[in-house]
Amino acid sequence: MNRRDFLQYASLVTMGSMLPGFTQAVNLNRTGKILVLIHLKGGNDGFNSLVPYHDSNYYDLRPKIAIQKRSVLKLDDRFGMNPQLQHLLPLWEKGQMAWIQGVGYPNSVLSHFQSLDIWESASPSDYSKGWLSRVVPGIKQGLHGVVIDDGVEGGGVMQGSQLNAVTMKNPRSFIRAAERISDVQPKRRNPAIAHVTAIQHQLHEVGKQIAEKVGSNPPAIPGKYTGDLGHGLQAVAQMILSGVDAPVYKVTQKGFDTHASQLELQNNALYQLGSGISSFARVMQQKGLWQKILLVTYSEFGRRAAENKGAGTDHGTASAHMVFGGSVKRGIYGEHPDMSHLNASGNVQHTTDFRSIYGTIAQNWWRQNNPWRQYGTLPFVG
Amino acid sequence: MDKLGFAEARHLVSRTGFSPEWESIQRLVGKPMPQAVDFILQQRHSSPPSPPSMSPWSRIVSLRQNARTRKMIMRTAKTEGKGLQRWWVKHLLATKAPLIERMTLFWHNVFPSTIAKTLSVKLLYQQNLMLRKHALGNFRTLLHAVAKDPAMLVYLDGHMNEKLAPNENFAREVLELFTVGRRQFTENDMREAARAFTGWTIDDRSGRFTYDAQRHDTGQKTILGKRGNFTGEQALDIMLRHPRTAERLAERFWAEFVSVARPDPAVIRQWAQQLVSSHYDISALLKTVLTSNAFWAETHRGALIKSPVELAVGTLRILPYTLPRDNLAHQLTLMGQPLFNQSTVKGWASGKEWLSTQSFLLRDSLLRNMTRGNLRTAKSGMDRLLPAVSSKEEMAQWLLAIPPINPFPEKEGSKQRLVRDLVLDPAYQVC
Repeated sequence: MNRRDFLQYASLVTMGSMLPGFTQAVNLNRTGKILVLIHLKGGNDGFNSLVPYHDSNYYDLRPKIAIQKRSVLKLDDRFGMNPQLQHLLPLWEKGQMAWIQGVGYPNSVLSHFQSLDIWESASPSDYSKGWLSRVVPGIKQGLHGVVIDDGVEGGGVMQGSQLNAVTMKNPRSFIRAAERISDVQPKRRNPAIAHVTAIQHQLHEVGKQIAEKVGSNPPAIPGKYTGDLGHGLQAVAQMILSGVDAPVYKVTQKGFDTHASQLELQNNALYQLGSGISSFARVMQQKGLWQKILLVTYSEFGRRAAENKGAGTDHGTASAHMVFGGSVKRGIYGEHPDMSHLNASGNVQHTTDFRSIYGTIAQNWWRQNNPWRQYGTLPFVG
Repeated sequence: MDKLGFAEARHLVSRTGFSPEWESIQRLVGKPMPQAVDFILQQRHSSPPSPPSMSPWSRIVSLRQNARTRKMIMRTAKTEGKGLQRWWVKHLLATKAPLIERMTLFWHNVFPSTIAKTLSVKLLYQQNLMLRKHALGNFRTLLHAVAKDPAMLVYLDGHMNEKLAPNENFAREVLELFTVGRRQFTENDMREAARAFTGWTIDDRSGRFTYDAQRHDTGQKTILGKRGNFTGEQALDIMLRHPRTAERLAERFWAEFVSVARPDPAVIRQWAQQLVSSHYDISALLKTVLTSNAFWAETHRGALIKSPVELAVGTLRILPYTLPRDNLAHQLTLMGQPLFNQSTVKGWASGKEWLSTQSFLLRDSLLRNMTRGNLRTAKSGMDRLLPAVSSKEEMAQWLLAIPPINPFPEKEGSKQRLVRDLVLDPAYQVC
């Protein structure tokens, strides 16, 4: 035991009973169902993530960057995972992972911003509210969501005045800053000051809750966490294990806008994704919470079917997405897009509407009203 | 309103600069409104400090070829980039022409280019001078200059756009963000516009714009319903003439000068018509805005959220606080306004989006640090450095665009304490 550990231990013995959330066992049985969204920023290439190694079109379109059959992590006799996702294989083997392929929407937009707005709002034209604002306020009152982001952006999925969400880098820095914020009652004098006072009031309330639950000493989270996603998942785990009652968390993995030298860039991003998720899953399993967690990836679009001159891929349409959790039903859902029929931009036709994933989460995971009923549900959970 | 009172002069000064500078307010009090607006618009240029150290473009061209030397130029760009940010912050703090600086910042966000992508601080510096030169000039001239600007050509891959391998990046953004906007053009318009811009590139040695006729696609193009063998210049003019281009610019002026609320479409149409009939004179548009009923309406006082530059630079320009200047550019980055480094081509998330729970904490801690008694001249006291106001109400009328949200402290304290309370009031976040 080194000095620092000793001091922590000592303070635990003498002052433990006075520190809320640190020594008081949090009753994790009361934890509600949690959704952790992972944004694959830049537009992840689904074809090099869930590799259709049976499809000769795939190899014809991508002579330089296709993942060879011998190196894919085979999931069945048609599809395999990118070898950089090796850390996820145990989850697949335990039946706690699913793939959904061909995910997209009609009349795809190839702009990062607009397509992300469409994904995050679930609307082709009105981006003022995030899709979660149509579901999460029905689950509970109080805190609805936490966005982990070191910048000041990234809250799109949780936009909307009905939804009470905060953005933070991690709980420790958030608590330190929020404890200085005094309360203020929202003022409606004009929309700018209404926004300022609403934010200040919200910060005060959420700051109070997180400080009470997490305390000054967030629990140590075992596992290896690197990069924005790793640190993000670590922060999410800290909050969940401390009993913060947000039903939604959002984290981001960057590095998927692979216009050139795709193998190098996407490999790195996928590796970090796999290792972060597997560490997070292990912690949740150990604490008996894995049944209550659903991790879902999303991305603004997939990539062009064919590789480009620079051994990269340009903006595309449909992509493959991943789902993890103790309640997940293993499988590869949706159809593999037809890579022999491309549109004028060289893109595939999507086979699964992304709103069917949202509908499944609303209806089968949270047992809420499903605003996207017309797109159907997928039996990956519930 | 016949003549400007204190409140009106304050409003005009703070909306056309970074904060309510006392002397500028005094100069405008008592002037008839149109005359005061003309006075503001006639600001003389104030020269920026001497340029930071910058590697020539030719060095970047030669070193970016292989992976090892590419790392080297990335490191250089990072270091020189910080120098460039400091250079601009220094000028923002010192300029005698805050409107021109505010407009330069505005155009820098309409037409962003970044250190991270271009890796050339020199090109960004030159772009910044160009934006400042046209800040209150002609929008058509500015649009053409931006399209041929070397930093922009690198930022949106335009310099690699050639007949046999068109690159669509610049064409997409010029349509979606710089001119007509979403839903006004098709993927086909975008591809055809990209062909019109083929052959525009940068000379490897000089780093200047050059036109390579060999790589230009001279064929027929259809752009926004017009058909012809368009050049890049003609493509820009087609986009410029689209009615949504002027309207979108008018909308951006509304968001910059009037309110975070949605604009009245009739006002936007009127401003856009005014812009078109003045042949895209930016100064004329600004005059229309600053003399409009919307600008002066009581309901729009304090209806804008301060940008991080307004919050930090604006405070340091009017109050005798100090902050390590080397640190200021970094603070702006944290608060969501990294100079020369927007995270997307859409620019900084501005307006209401300046303020999220995350950025609120950063803004609050910046103001707390600034006002924590580290006065420039502790001995002489702050009182001497503040304008002569006679009551706490007058102090609030000067520092805040709307009455304070928190009640005044009952006990009469020092001026320094009063200023701190007002700076930390939620009303200080708006302007």
